[in-house]
Amino acid sequence: MLEWLNTHIAYWHWLVLGLLLITAEIFVSGFILFWFGLAALFMGVLLLAVGMPITLQLLFWAGLSVALVVLWLKYIRPNWKDRTTSGMAMEALTGQVGSVIESNIGRSRGRLRFPAPILGEDEWQFMSTSEVAVGVRVKVINISGNTLVVSPH
Amino acid sequence: MEGLSVVLALVVLVIITIGMGVRIVPQGSKHIVQRLGKYHSTLNPGMNIIIPYVDQVPYKITTKDIVLDIPSQEVITEDNATIIANAVAYINIVSPEKAVYGVEDYEIAIQNLVQTALRSIVGEMSLDSALSSRDMIKAKLKEAISDDIADWGINLKTVEIQDINPSATMQKAMEEQAAAERQRRATVTRAEGEKQAAILEADGRLEASKRDAKAQVVLADASREAIERVTQAIGEKELPVMYLLGERYINALEELSTSDNAKNLIFPADLPHAVKGLLNR
Repeated sequence: MLEWLNTHIAYWHWLVLGLLLITAEIFVSGFILFWFGLAALFMGVLLLAVGMPITLQLLFWAGLSVALVVLWLKYIRPNWKDRTTSGMAMEALTGQVGSVIESNIGRSRGRLRFPAPILGEDEWQFMSTSEVAVGVRVKVINISGNTLVVSPH
Repeated sequence: MEGLSVVLALVVLVIITIGMGVRIVPQGSKHIVQRLGKYHSTLNPGMNIIIPYVDQVPYKITTKDIVLDIPSQEVITEDNATIIANAVAYINIVSPEKAVYGVEDYEIAIQNLVQTALRSIVGEMSLDSALSSRDMIKAKLKEAISDDIADWGINLKTVEIQDINPSATMQKAMEEQAAAERQRRATVTRAEGEKQAAILEADGRLEASKRDAKAQVVLADASREAIERVTQAIGEKELPVMYLLGERYINALEELSTSDNAKNLIFPADLPHAVKGLLNR
């Protein structure tokens, strides 16, 4: 089996496998197979230059593929920022900083104002575990219906 | 050959597994992941990796604003008038997991909440204020239901009252009332005008009679003055007066004689005496 593979696997097998994998990527969303295909293409080019046994080839291919996928998932993709928060209410609100215009001291809720309207309103009710005085800047950490959960900034 | 089959099967399995494990979520929606039937996480837009075979994505929730049409309903105001009101609500799902697990069907739930809240708010208002203060109804509505839907991770952006119409009979009555009011105003205006005219007319008469009286006084004064002067001028002499009067007397008699129906005319013989009789001397 191994001998048969060793003698019959040529560089173009790797090229075809790579092209097939990259083609399969079109039907399988996720952008993972693409890297396996790319690694296979690379193996094909490598076999043109140097010969090596099939086990080493497979090992090399697997290692290269995993390395490419890890590189993609860990280092390249996280740097692609969210370009918009429209349609993402939670993300649009959390982390925003506003100033208190009605204190929640002695009551369950106060009111705060953002410098610019968010989700169509610049004044919101807020709840907080700590009591905040008027004028204090607070940061949104969560949303509960039409009330924001905040902590002092 | 067997080896090749195994390899092929393995390749197919790997491809399917990767296809299942990578989830691309489009912008504007979020997916709920359940691990073996239990909530695990919420997938944000973009590429996400889940573990195939144990994770499923049973719910795909839109995070865009949802426009909810609140069907029109009959509402009875505090003064027992029936009005027909409908509204439109704009909601946004902030926490998809709460919306999915907190309520069976959030759209129906919110529709019913808005309907009942609208009924109770309008029920505390009189017909006139309900028809004229939409903004207040809107604010109260928002306040009333935003706490209820907080549990479902939904943010109520706004509720707009679309139409608020009195029922047909009410509308007819209102139109009649308005017409009657105008009629009343017209009548009052007319009466006011008449009163004003009468007052002015009386004022005119009063003014005129005042002036008439003044004129008579002036005339009398003038007559007195004239008589006094004549008296002074005459003094104790009789003849000039007698002469003047005699002349007048004769003139008068002449005029009488020229009239059509005069048949006979008798001149007094003793003219001085006749004139004296006039003078009462």
